Amino acid sequence: MNKTLAEVVLLSRRLNRQHLQVIFAVIALAMLVVGVGAPSDGGGAGRSMMGMLHHHIK
Amino acid sequence: MILLSALVLGLLAGWGWAGWHKRPYRAPDLRHLWLAAASFVPQIVIFYLPATRAMTPQWLAAGALMISLIGFLVFAWLNRGVTGMPVLLGGLLLNLIVMAANGGWMPISPETASHLADGSAIAHVSPGSRIGQKDVLLLPEQTRLGFLADRFLLPGWFQYAVAFSLGDILVALGAFWLLAGSSIGGQNETE
Repeated sequence: MNKTLAEVVLLSRRLNRQHLQVIFAVIALAMLVVGVGAPSDGGGAGRSMMGMLHHHIK
Repeated sequence: MILLSALVLGLLAGWGWAGWHKRPYRAPDLRHLWLAAASFVPQIVIFYLPATRAMTPQWLAAGALMISLIGFLVFAWLNRGVTGMPVLLGGLLLNLIVMAANGGWMPISPETASHLADGSAIAHVSPGSRIGQKDVLLLPEQTRLGFLADRFLLPGWFQYAVAFSLGDILVALGAFWLLAGSSIGGQNETE
C-alpha cells in the first residue's frame, strides 16, 4: 500500500516536472520569437494601420 | 502574431507526433531560460508598457532594442545544440544585422507598407518615421541591406496583412522545428 502510494506520488511529481518544463520552454520560446522577430503587422481585413503610425524618428 | 502561430503549430505537430507514437511530449531542453526573460524586459519597457513607451526617446528605444536582441543572441547561442535553434539563430542574426544597419529599426518601404494600410495614409508618413513596433519607413535608396528588410507579404487571399523579412521566416521555421522536432528527435533516440 505504502509502496503504491509512493509510486503514485513519484509519478505525479515526474508529470508535474514534465509539464512545467513544457510550459517554461514554450514561454521562453514565445519571448524569443516575439523579441527577435520584426514582422510589420497590418492586422485583419478592414483594420487600418494608421493607429500604428504614431512613432516618429524625425 | 504570425510568429506565435509558428510556435503553436510546432507545439501541435510535436504533440501530434508524440501521441501518434504513444509517447509523452518532450519539450526542447533549453538552458539559461532566465536569459530569455531578461532579454525581453527592455522590449516590455519600450513597446508594451504605455507609460514608459511614451516617455522613452527614440534613440534610447533603438539602443534598448539592440541590447535586447544581443541578449537573445547569447541565449540562442548557448542553446545552439537544441534541434531547430541554429535555424532560429540564423534568422535572429539576419534581423539583427539589418536593424543595426538601419539605425536600430527594421526598414520597410512605402510600397510594401501600402499593402498593410490605406495607401493614402502611408503617403502622409514621411520617410524615416517609425511605424508599428520595430519598423521604420525608408525609401529603397535609403535602405541598407534592403533584401533583409520587411519585404515579403502574405498572398492576397489571406485575411491578415503582414510584411516580414527573411530573418522572420527563419525565426518562424526554427521556432516550429524547436517544438515539433524535440518530440520527433526523442522518438528517434529510442529506436
